[in-house]
Amino acid sequence: MKINNVYNEKEQYFTKDLLTEKKRYWDPKRSKVCAALKKNISVFPIEKTSCILYLGCAEGYTVSYLSDIVTEGKIIGVDFSAHSMQRFYLLSQKRKNIIPLLEDATRPEKYKDLLNFKVDVIVQDVSQKKQIEILKKNTDLFLKENGYVMLSLKTTAISQKKPKEIVDEELNNFKKHFKIINFVKLDPFEKKHIFVIGQKK
Amino acid sequence: MNLQKINEKAFIKHTKENIKKQLESPDQRIIYLSQITNKLPQIINELYEQLRIITDRKYPTLDSYISIKEYCNFIFEKKITFTQTKEINEILTNDIGISFSEDEKRTTKEIAKNILDLINTKENILKDIETLFEKNYKNFKEIAKTTIACKMLEIAGSFERLLSMPASTIQLLGSEKSFFLALRKNKKTPKYGVIYNHPLMITLSKKNKARFARTLASKITLAIKADINNVYIADSLQEKLNKKIKNYNRDNNEN
Ligand SMILES: C[S@@+](CC[C@H](N)C(=O)[O-])C[C@H]1O[C@@H](n2cnc3c(N)ncnc32)[C@H](O)[C@@H]1O
Repeated sequence: MKINNVYNEKEQYFTKDLLTEKKRYWDPKRSKVCAALKKNISVFPIEKTSCILYLGCAEGYTVSYLSDIVTEGKIIGVDFSAHSMQRFYLLSQKRKNIIPLLEDATRPEKYKDLLNFKVDVIVQDVSQKKQIEILKKNTDLFLKENGYVMLSLKTTAISQKKPKEIVDEELNNFKKHFKIINFVKLDPFEKKHIFVIGQKK
Repeated sequence: MNLQKINEKAFIKHTKENIKKQLESPDQRIIYLSQITNKLPQIINELYEQLRIITDRKYPTLDSYISIKEYCNFIFEKKITFTQTKEINEILTNDIGISFSEDEKRTTKEIAKNILDLINTKENILKDIETLFEKNYKNFKEIAKTTIACKMLEIAGSFERLLSMPASTIQLLGSEKSFFLALRKNKKTPKYGVIYNHPLMITLSKKNKARFARTLASKITLAIKADINNVYIADSLQEKLNKKIKNYNRDNNEN
């Protein structure tokens, strides 16, 4: 798979740094997107010109790599933690294709006036309950027709169910709203997580 | 889409304002102050152990009779803030007659001073937390009591998130670990989280604890709502809680 500014050398991923143009190591243990690449996810819907809404950007580890990729695009990073956002804000000052947004992803109605346009891809990594509900709400408001979603699904026990059942249940839930393009388990880089790529139905 | 059209300045302004609002809000202040006071005792204890590596030689076992603060006051400026019992006097008169070198005296004084400063910092922070509660979340503080209110805020992450929680969640706040463990092992799930340590809970029997936990949680929920609406209802809530306890005690006596 050819991704703009991403290189695979000896099974390790690197990007070309947007700022220094130097090679930059991408750690799959710190980034679920990179872990998904390592686990051979079959599609990667992010291109040079993509506009991405990233829910749960934290301090921006993954976003900084995506920013190396979307050299002619934009990434709007959402997180509700002011601590994380303070660092993310500094990152966005350095990297001109990153836009910070301190908001709660469960309440997109609070930022729909600001985010009054549609994006090509929504990436979500919030690690909390109601993950699919959050994604659904945001795609309804902000994703283009035929746009893609990239979701990191946490599959830890919320009940007495077995891990396999939880995965199936979550994926079924996902299927209600999206077409599944591909998914991979993220272990050993991230335990009890699957990474799903889907498309708006 | 034309990316040039995105009003980036508006995003940045919005985000900066939200960061400021969040980081300066009283609940976030309480949370980080409380995190500091949670850690300080451990730091104080470690320093105290280092101090006693030297001072134990001259005053063996003195530490088991007096508090850390009294001990450090004594080492720092020979100030005696404790009652001199017979045992203590025996230690202080030190019949073997071990004495400190000038270097050791300086070192022990310096460490003792550091510990006293840390104790002072901790006491001041606790006062600051009290004041923040008093000004912003008075009902919550009066009903849950400061220590538990702090814990609840820490676990929830913000006052807003506490506000959105139903009483049943408040009741279990802090039991998440054992809750999921119980689910997995098919055991009984816990009935209470941090409210278990509420002063009113201590005297109750196991059965009454479970009953009271529910009442207490629902009153805490009401208190939180009252704080957001700026009304004071803590006294009447407290009265209802006291009545409940009285009823339990009466039931017990009748049985
Ligand atoms: C696992 S971290 C994300 C790490 C990041 N994606 C990376 O790879 O660099 C999850 C983040 O989601 C954020 N989060 C959780 N719930 C959220 C919500 N409802 N709205 C916005 N952010 C949320 C948390 O504050 C946290 O920073």
